[in-house]
Amino acid sequence: MKVSFFETVRYLPPQALPSEWPVASGAYDPEAGARAYRDMLDRLAYVESIGFDWVSVSEHHYSPRILTPSPIVSAAFLAAHLKRATIALLGPIVPHSNPVRVAEELAMLDTMAQGRLVVGLLRGTTNEALTYDLNPAEARERTDEGMEIILRAWTEPQPFGWQGRHFQYRTISVWPRPLQQPHPPTFALGTSRESCEFAARHRLGCGVSYGPFEVMAKATRYYREQCARHGWEPKPEQILYRANMLVAETDEAAHALLRAQPGQAPFTMRAGVRDAMQTLDSRNVAGEARSPVVSGALPTTFIGSPDTVVEQVRRCRDLVGAGVLDLSLHPPGSTTLDPLTRALDLFGNKVLPRIRDI
Amino acid sequence: MFSDRHVEIDGRRLRYREAGQGLALVHLVNADALALTPAHGLLARTFRVVALEIPDGTRDGGAVAARALTQLGLEAFNLMASATTAPAALALALQAPARVRSIVLESPAAVAPGVGDPALQARLAEITTPTLILMGTLDDATATGVGRAYQARIVGCHLAFVYAAGAAIAAERAEAFAEIVADFCERREAFVISRATTLINP
Repeated sequence: MKVSFFETVRYLPPQALPSEWPVASGAYDPEAGARAYRDMLDRLAYVESIGFDWVSVSEHHYSPRILTPSPIVSAAFLAAHLKRATIALLGPIVPHSNPVRVAEELAMLDTMAQGRLVVGLLRGTTNEALTYDLNPAEARERTDEGMEIILRAWTEPQPFGWQGRHFQYRTISVWPRPLQQPHPPTFALGTSRESCEFAARHRLGCGVSYGPFEVMAKATRYYREQCARHGWEPKPEQILYRANMLVAETDEAAHALLRAQPGQAPFTMRAGVRDAMQTLDSRNVAGEARSPVVSGALPTTFIGSPDTVVEQVRRCRDLVGAGVLDLSLHPPGSTTLDPLTRALDLFGNKVLPRIRDI
Repeated sequence: MFSDRHVEIDGRRLRYREAGQGLALVHLVNADALALTPAHGLLARTFRVVALEIPDGTRDGGAVAARALTQLGLEAFNLMASATTAPAALALALQAPARVRSIVLESPAAVAPGVGDPALQARLAEITTPTLILMGTLDDATATGVGRAYQARIVGCHLAFVYAAGAAIAAERAEAFAEIVADFCERREAFVISRATTLINP
């Protein structure tokens, strides 16, 4: 089992913050922000030293909860500071982006990082469509088309044009191309039928996140079926599961941590916007419709003592088939770093060495 | 609305369909492909579209097409071909380069370089007419390789992928097909310069 640390940049606000998303940027404290990025580097040096294989970053906007609106900037910064860990850039939100620009920047980053890059491409969470005024009803189509452009920009040997539905380019010919050929290990992130089919058709990995093992297993099973239909079988490291983990000395202590957490997302959209978004944003798990997550807290699927968590990881491997765990060891948005530090120590000493062979 | 007509060449009757006014856009089609797509109607809004049949097995299809087009009074034209009529279009461009303003090849997969007429394949590098090759992203890897091979042999040739289309691009993505064909035929190599506006409110 490979293990990835999901770095969210822990911004500790000096005073109480508004609770509505988008969070008023006037509440941002520049000194606290600078400290958060400095502390991130110290934390990741430790994360690397205790044996995490990857450090991952994501793209989220207009909120202090995850302070990485540009994951490519984040990844480049980390690649320059970390010596060994693979940089997992799990999320340029493709429908927001100029896909040619994404292809160029990722190829450049893979080359500068000497081939230490892993890429995840995704549609983004429901609220993100509001960031750059993207019509949420078009997000799925823009994602699929954008991902196809990125892959082709990395691999076509001669200049080419693109006559798409949502994107049009007369000439594409990216320099540099990725160091890893034909391209960095790439995941289509998401549980949807469309995402699984895209990954299978293009021989990409599949990344699922947060849901219970049984639900995520539906998606990864569908992905494997689609891979078989396209004549190949994914390796375990091509199935990635991002999850929350609460590990403590005892099961009771871990569950006490969970009980202390808020029951809903820290920054929620106004009800009128949230309800309207839900009508526009259709989601599914392997074709089974599900509601988009717009206000609820994300579930914690690994919780307990080190012994308990090791068994949960084993069960996750059996059910989901994941060969890579991308872990948030304490929910982002906490007002103190102590629980995260304790969790890292415990995970590094008592869990990580025991899940390597799972 | 396309009208059905014909032209006689050496006692042989070649059918054609025509609509529109303006610059001529000649589409060389197989006899069984004279049923046109919505893309032809879209192109006929801007061009005088002439879809001329080149029956399968026609020897020297380029010369036959050149004579037919002369009879129709078309001295200069844009030239489009699909799959098996690509050799005739390329031969015509080699024989009469001054008459052909531009060439568009839609999925020229059935006549791969090295598979078709060797003499023609050997002369591809002599083509100076601005050329655009369109391939569908759903077409198979072999077909895509053929498109790339044409692009590599024809100097300054443009290759464009039409998203979510197979080999029959004009039928499957009519609007996308017509837009790029019209732009290329109108502006030729300058079609790489975008004219799309990003202005929202002046």
